[in-house]
Formats: sequence, structure tokens, C-alpha cells
Amino acid sequence: VNIAEQECGAVRVLKPEGPVSAKDAEDLKARIDAMLESSLGRCVVDASAIQYVDSRGLEVLVEANEAIARTGHPLKLCGVNQTLRQVLELTGLAAQFEFFADANSAVRSFL
Amino acid sequence: MADDHGPAPGLWQRLRRVLRDDLHLTSIGFGFTAILLTAMAAAAWWAGRTQDSSLHQAHAERVRTTGETLARTAEILLADGRLGRVRRLVVETAREANLSRCRLLLPTGEVVADAQPEAITRQDLPPSWDGEAPPPRPGVDRLCRTISVTVPDRGTLLLQVAASPDPAAELFWQTRAGIGAVCVMALVVLVLMHRRFRNTFRGIWAVRRALLARRDGQCAPEALKVRADWGPEAEAWNSLMDQMEQAKRRTALSRTEESLRLQQHSSQDLSAACDALAQGLILVDGHSRAKYLNSAAAVLLRVRRDQIDDADIGDVIPDEEVVEAVRQATHRPMQRRQIFEIERKGDAGRVLLRFIVRPVRREDSAVAMVVIEDITQQRVAEDARNTFLAQATHELRTPLTNIRACAEAGLDEGRDDPAVQANCLSTINQEVCRLDRIVGDILSVSEIEAGSLRLNEDDVRLEDLMASLEADYAAQAKEKQIDLTFDLPPKLPVLRGDREKISLGFHNLLGNALKYTPEGGKVTATVDIQDGQLAFQVADTGIGMNEEDQRRIFEKFYRSPDRRVTQITGSGLGLAIAREVIRMHGGDIAVESEIDQGSTFTLTLPVMEGVPVA
Repeated sequence: VNIAEQECGAVRVLKPEGPVSAKDAEDLKARIDAMLESSLGRCVVDASAIQYVDSRGLEVLVEANEAIARTGHPLKLCGVNQTLRQVLELTGLAAQFEFFADANSAVRSFL
Repeated sequence: MADDHGPAPGLWQRLRRVLRDDLHLTSIGFGFTAILLTAMAAAAWWAGRTQDSSLHQAHAERVRTTGETLARTAEILLADGRLGRVRRLVVETAREANLSRCRLLLPTGEVVADAQPEAITRQDLPPSWDGEAPPPRPGVDRLCRTISVTVPDRGTLLLQVAASPDPAAELFWQTRAGIGAVCVMALVVLVLMHRRFRNTFRGIWAVRRALLARRDGQCAPEALKVRADWGPEAEAWNSLMDQMEQAKRRTALSRTEESLRLQQHSSQDLSAACDALAQGLILVDGHSRAKYLNSAAAVLLRVRRDQIDDADIGDVIPDEEVVEAVRQATHRPMQRRQIFEIERKGDAGRVLLRFIVRPVRREDSAVAMVVIEDITQQRVAEDARNTFLAQATHELRTPLTNIRACAEAGLDEGRDDPAVQANCLSTINQEVCRLDRIVGDILSVSEIEAGSLRLNEDDVRLEDLMASLEADYAAQAKEKQIDLTFDLPPKLPVLRGDREKISLGFHNLLGNALKYTPEGGKVTATVDIQDGQLAFQVADTGIGMNEEDQRRIFEKFYRSPDRRVTQITGSGLGLAIAREVIRMHGGDIAVESEIDQGSTFTLTLPVMEGVPVA
């Protein structure tokens, strides 16, 4: 999966383009970890291009959330489609994350 | 108090203790013994005395009877003149009755018969003699009697009998010796028993005293304990005291543990709460050592929490100025807070941290608190806003200046020359349009920022849109001698969306291409429709962009530092707004570019199903 990275001011927006599963999940994890380290936690995952995630993908999101929680922020997800949102809600994970309609509002939350 | 005044408190104390420990017991013991012994002695004495008296009486009675019998027998025998026979009788009687003296005397004192024959001083009795026998003296000595022996016609003789020492006297002393021995033995037994049971009694006594002390409020186990060598009772008491003490300690311990646990819980809660803060928090003690650091602080300062345990604050905070302020705050608790904004450059670019150093007032120790905020994003946004304001002001001022200049020219020169007037009005019109666009941009940005941008859904005829694009930019292209070509499919769809906003996206891409393409360049706009997706591609042969610019081109207020860009006016908002509104329609804008070679922007939009291709 291609993971686009964009800077919005001092905030990094990571946008995986495609389903997050298996090996792609590992890539995403590595990217999130690297981004966390360098951006001091100012990061957003733009999920608008993620059609679905598998269990490993969910695990990666939870792990990323735990890692980013050290900075006092939860993982900010934006543009989450209905499928992903349902998956997160069914697994009871939705409450862990912050959801935003789009990357802009997510970025704005760092102000 | 006696201890304070006594010359030898140790001795006095010991004495007091001995008295206290033993006096009661010993005095009670010895009192009992003395009473017992006195009673025994009195009883023995009384019994002995009674016995003596009766024995003495019996002895005296025997002496009297013997004497009377002898006197009567002697009277008979002497009447017959049988003196010899009397003398034998006296000797025999004295022997048989164990008499110490038995003699027959004339009133003159001459002895006519005696138990000791050699004591006889007159061998025969005179035919008669005078003199009366002195009356007997009863009661003087009952064991020594003088009895009258009357010899008819001759006179009266005196018979003296005296008992040998009273055998009762010996018995008397034997009895007393026996009693004495019994008493001594009793004493010995008593002493032995005392020795044997002394400790037991001491123990019981000490336990009693401890109980009384406990009743009086003495609680210290050391004061309540008794000497362990005072028998099993003392041991049992001590063990009871120990158990009580242990129980008390256990209770105290469990209470302490409970309170510690509660404290720990609350401390954990506090720590968890601090870790949930987005601000970094460091607590510094009076020796400038970092006592606590929350996880956000660790992240912001890029340190590991397990490595900063009691580390000097200088090792944790990289900035000397802040460290100095912290040191001062820990030494002068009355100091007000100080704020520092420190910029750090790292692999992730510029990071701006705001350090707020403030002393924490405490009575016992000097503590300072450092709060760290990551204000990079705020500062970036602020800078962008300032830049934008400057740009916007400039942008607004430029057309205004033009309008004013044209208005003045029109008023001055256009009065006579209609051509000048028309020219001025045309320029004013252009500038007003430009102003309108700029104000629109600013409003759009404000709306996007506020999240209040709304789409007015309508049919968007792409054909019309393309036509207006061609019409709008043909003049500009011609002016810059740019070859602007449109490569369109024969049929263009009708889109569903906000006509103005979509139009804004298309305009922006084409406008930028013309703007940043030098004279004589080429701009090609193509439309491709595949898999329900429309792709509008604008390729130019302009100045192009480096990777950094490509990555940041869609940021609001971002303008490339390239001189060729800065020379051209612009707010840095157009692309950001364009992409935002296109994204709101479910599409996107992407860019591919090479510096000095040109750029290709691709706008994609989903073509709604059911919308007929016109």
C-alpha cells in the first residue's frame, strides 16, 4: 500500500492509500513509529483512502494509539469511512481514537 | 524523683526494686511463718506446762503417800522398839521410792535412821525425849516433807522425806528440744520451699503488679513485662505481652500498609493523570534534580524516562537559559514564573517548545515545576497567518491602488478623452474582479478554517465549465504567448456538486499553470474519464517545483521560497482551497513536477452514477 505523507504546518498527515492488512499493516506501523519519533506526536492518520482493515491493521492502529498516547494525544483519524468506523465500533476500539471529518480539522485540533 | 536526689541512684533503684519485688512476698511469708511458729511454740509451752504440773503433782503425791506409809509403819515398829527394822525400812523405802533423802530425826536433830546408814548420829532411841516436832510446812516444797512419827510414851520423831530431782524436769526439756527441732525443721522446710517457690511467687506478684499498672494506664510493653526467669507464669505473661505487642504492631503495620497503598494508588492516579497531559511536566527538587517527568515531557525532550531518574536538570533540558531559571526557581521560591520559547532544529525540522518555569511553594523544600508546551504548530499557523495577512493586505492594496489610480486618471484625463475613460473603467473593472476573487479566497479560507464551508449541490455541466475556462484564460495565454490547448473528449459528463467550488478548483489549476509558466511556454489541459472517475490534468512547461515544494504546496498560506514564485503575487491559498473543495466532493488534486521542467496537476472527481453523459 502506498502511504502518502503530507505536512500541514507542523503536523504530519499520513494517508495510506488502500486496505490496511497483513504486511501493509507492518509498513503503516513502521511509518507511524517513525513519524511519532520525528514529529513529537503531531500526527494524523488520514483514513479516507482506507477501504477496510484486517485484524492486524486494527492491532496496528491500537499499537500506534498506545505509542502516541505518551504524548498526551490520542491517535487522530480523519475521513474514516463507514466500514472502518463500524469495524472500530464493533470491536469497541472507537472510543480510543479521535475522529475528524477531514485532515484539516484534525490538524486544527493541534492548535 | 528519688532517683534524682539519691547519691547512688543505681543502688537506690535496685533497693527499691528488691523491696518492691520481694518485700511483700517475703514479709507475708515470714509473717505467716512467725505466726505459725509462735503459735506452735505457745501450744508446746502450754502443753508442756500442763504436763509438768500434773507430773509434779503425781510425784509429790507419791512422796507424801510413801512418807505417810513409812511414818505409820515406823510408829508401829518403834512402839515395838524395833529400831533396826525401822532403819532397814527407811533404806529400802528410799531405794524403792527413789528418794533423795529419807531420815528419822529426834527433835534435837540427831539422826536415828537414814537412807545413808553412815549419816546416823544416834544408835539407839532415848527412853524419852522432849520437844515437839515442828509443824509441817506444806506448800513450801511438796517434794520435801517432814512428817511426825509419834512413839507412844517416848516422844515424837520427825521423818524427813525428799524426792530425788523430778523426772518431769528432764521430760520437760526433752519436750522443748523436740518442739525446737520440729520448729527448726519446719523453718528449714519453709526456707527451702521459699527458695523453691520464690520465683513463682515473684512472677505471680509481678504479673499482678503489671496488671494493676495496665489498669492505671501503663501501656508500654517494656514496662509491663516481668523478668523471664521468674517462673513459667512470668514466661506466659511475657509471651502474652509479646503477642499483644505483635498484634498491635501487625495492626499498626497493616494500617500503615493500607495508608501507603492508598497513597500509592493516589500517586499512581496522579501519575496517570499527568501522563495523559499533552503538556510536558517536570518536577525539580531543591538540588536541581528531576524528580518526576511525565511521558509528554519525555517525548518532547526526546529523553527516556528510566534514564532521568534523579538526573540533574541540565541533563534533561537542553537549553542553558531554562536550566538556569530552574536552578534559580528552586533557590528562590518567591520568584514569579518565567517563560522561554526555545527553538530546536532536528531531523523533523523546526520544533518550538515553550518552557514555563515556576517555583512550587512548599514549606519544607524548594521545588520547581517546568511545563513544556509544543507550540510549533501554533507558531507555524501564526506565522502563516501573519504572512497571509501581509500578503492579503498587499493583494488587496494592489488592486485598490490600481483602481484609485485609474479612477483619478479617468476623472482627470477621461473627461475629455473617452478612450482613456474606457480604458480606465476597464482596468477598474478588472481590478474589482481581482479584489472580489481575493476576498472570496479569504472568505473560503475562513470558512474552511471554521469548518463551515457548505456545498450547494447542483448540476455542473463540465462542457460549460471547460468553455468558460477557455474563454477566461485565452486572453491571458495570448498575452504571455503561451500555447494553451484543451484536449477534451467529445462527450463531457454532468457532475453533481457545488458549481462555484468545482469551478474554483479547475480555475485554480489552470490559472496557476499560466501564472508560473514563463512566456513562450505551453500549457495543456486534458480531461479523461475512466471507471467512473474524471481526471482533469493540467501540464505546463513552467518553473516546476522541488520535492519540498511538492509536499507542501497544498498547505494553506504556503508559498515556495523560490524567487520566481515570490516575485509573483499570490496568497498561497488557492491550491489549498482548491484541494479542500475538491476533496469535499470526494475527489483530490495531486501534483507531479520537476524543477525547471514543468508541473502536472491532476484533479480527480467521481462521476456520479446515473448522471447522463451529456
